[in-house]
Amino acid sequence: MNDQYLWDKSGPSDPDIEKLERVMGTLRFRGTAPIFPSAIEFPAPRQSAFFPRPWLRFGLAAAFAITLVAAGLVLLWWKADVQVGWHVLQIDGAPRIQDRVLNATGKLGVGQVIETDGASRAEIEITEIGRIQIDPETRLRVLKAPSGRSRLALDRGTIHARIWALPGIFTVDTPSARAVDLGCAYTLHVDGNGDGLIRTTMGWVGFQLADREAFIPAGAVCRTHVKTGPGIPYFEDAPETFRSALQVFDSPGRSQEDRERALQTILSQSRRQDALSLWHLLSRVDASERPQVYDCFAALVPPPPGVTREGIQTLDREMLDRWWDALDLGNIWLWRHWERSWSEGEQSSK
Amino acid sequence: MADERKLDHDSSLVRAARDGDRVAFGQLYDRYAPTVHGILLARVPVDEVDDLVHDVFLRALPRLHTLRDPEGFGAWLSAIARNCANDYHRHNRNELMQEIRDDVPEETASKRERFDADVTTILSAIRSLPEAYRETLLLRLVEGMTGPEIAARTGLTAGSVRVNLYRGMQQLRQKLAEPRTSDTISKEIAAEGWPDGNPGGATK
Repeated sequence: MNDQYLWDKSGPSDPDIEKLERVMGTLRFRGTAPIFPSAIEFPAPRQSAFFPRPWLRFGLAAAFAITLVAAGLVLLWWKADVQVGWHVLQIDGAPRIQDRVLNATGKLGVGQVIETDGASRAEIEITEIGRIQIDPETRLRVLKAPSGRSRLALDRGTIHARIWALPGIFTVDTPSARAVDLGCAYTLHVDGNGDGLIRTTMGWVGFQLADREAFIPAGAVCRTHVKTGPGIPYFEDAPETFRSALQVFDSPGRSQEDRERALQTILSQSRRQDALSLWHLLSRVDASERPQVYDCFAALVPPPPGVTREGIQTLDREMLDRWWDALDLGNIWLWRHWERSWSEGEQSSK
Repeated sequence: MADERKLDHDSSLVRAARDGDRVAFGQLYDRYAPTVHGILLARVPVDEVDDLVHDVFLRALPRLHTLRDPEGFGAWLSAIARNCANDYHRHNRNELMQEIRDDVPEETASKRERFDADVTTILSAIRSLPEAYRETLLLRLVEGMTGPEIAARTGLTAGSVRVNLYRGMQQLRQKLAEPRTSDTISKEIAAEGWPDGNPGGATK
């Protein structure tokens, strides 16, 4: 068989494949686009004469989004009941589902484990949610999710997720944090100790352990530690000195002196785009250190109306959220909505 | 590079269609209808495919605003096509079995002049393969798409498509070399169900 011809029709032609193409080509689609109904239109919010105030438009959009998410969750919950499992494709080697070698394709259901060895790779497709590629040396479990969401647990190894579902539908638990999809594409790695690293390539992702949270937009990475949860995210193109200082600041067990020195480096080396890290730093430093972080952050991103030094000093969540939105890296409402609905889902499933 | 430009253009069309531009949606139809056709052909009776292609787009149109990532349009639409095939089978299992029996050359000769025995035999053999292989092979052999085009249109990775094509073709060759007719294939399917346990094999 001529593999290259089968792949892209280049190279010497394969007579068998040519015959199949000739015969089966008689079934080829030959239709043209029909006239579609005009009922579905989504006018831009700015064209509205009825809701000139941005906050009112936002409120209505939020209410609409809540309804949409609720309807989506009901639909997903219903689908989960009839779902027999996610479709899994073997890419390389011999991935195993529940200790059984995956033979080309298979299904992965709730409670089941898929594992790859050093030479194996696989791919999971979650209908209408997204696609997960599993790298070698990875152990991944499917968990029962509240409110019909999709939930995996990455015990170790690396996955690449590409998600096209609504924000907050797809989550991955790791030993040190929960990754919540708020965007589109990311790579998540967990090492043998349970520490992790997430790299977002499109959209943004929320990382959470208890009340510690981190938001990682496209182009940024974030470490997570078993003992302390999500660290401080940073853009990968940040200067080496800045990244090293963040790593020192984040590492548990460092001396107070090391920590203070690292903080000074972080503040002095920050660029405009490093406001991402400074916003997270506001809630990670001691109260005595917070004013200097505030000043540095405010110099890069002026506090929006309603955000005060006093409020930030006491970590007023609404003010912090408003300042996050000023960064224009993702709407915090999506995250808060996820938190509420996740919490309600867990309550109702108990 | 050409695929990237195509994706960029598709994203623009998706955004325009999302804003109510029916011409843009029509262009998306022209681009993606062959993909949807191939996906459905892997799962539902031949006579139903063209109508269902239209249904898939009608189902997608009012939900377009729920698609966050315009670049994911192909994968999103492919998922809708598979679900549409699932829905078809929930309501038409008996008809499917009848359709498969009807596919044998002796019976189709008078009713379906469009298909000759070769088409029926090959289609039956492809439909007896694992789901992932069926879809990819039909997009390659029926719709005439290359592997990179299949990956770009369905959202599958190039690696997955390559694996599906090679393994699927290997298995197809074996099946076509076996001394049996499409009649025996149809009977096997009718007796045992599809290889993954679903009529039409469309459930994911």
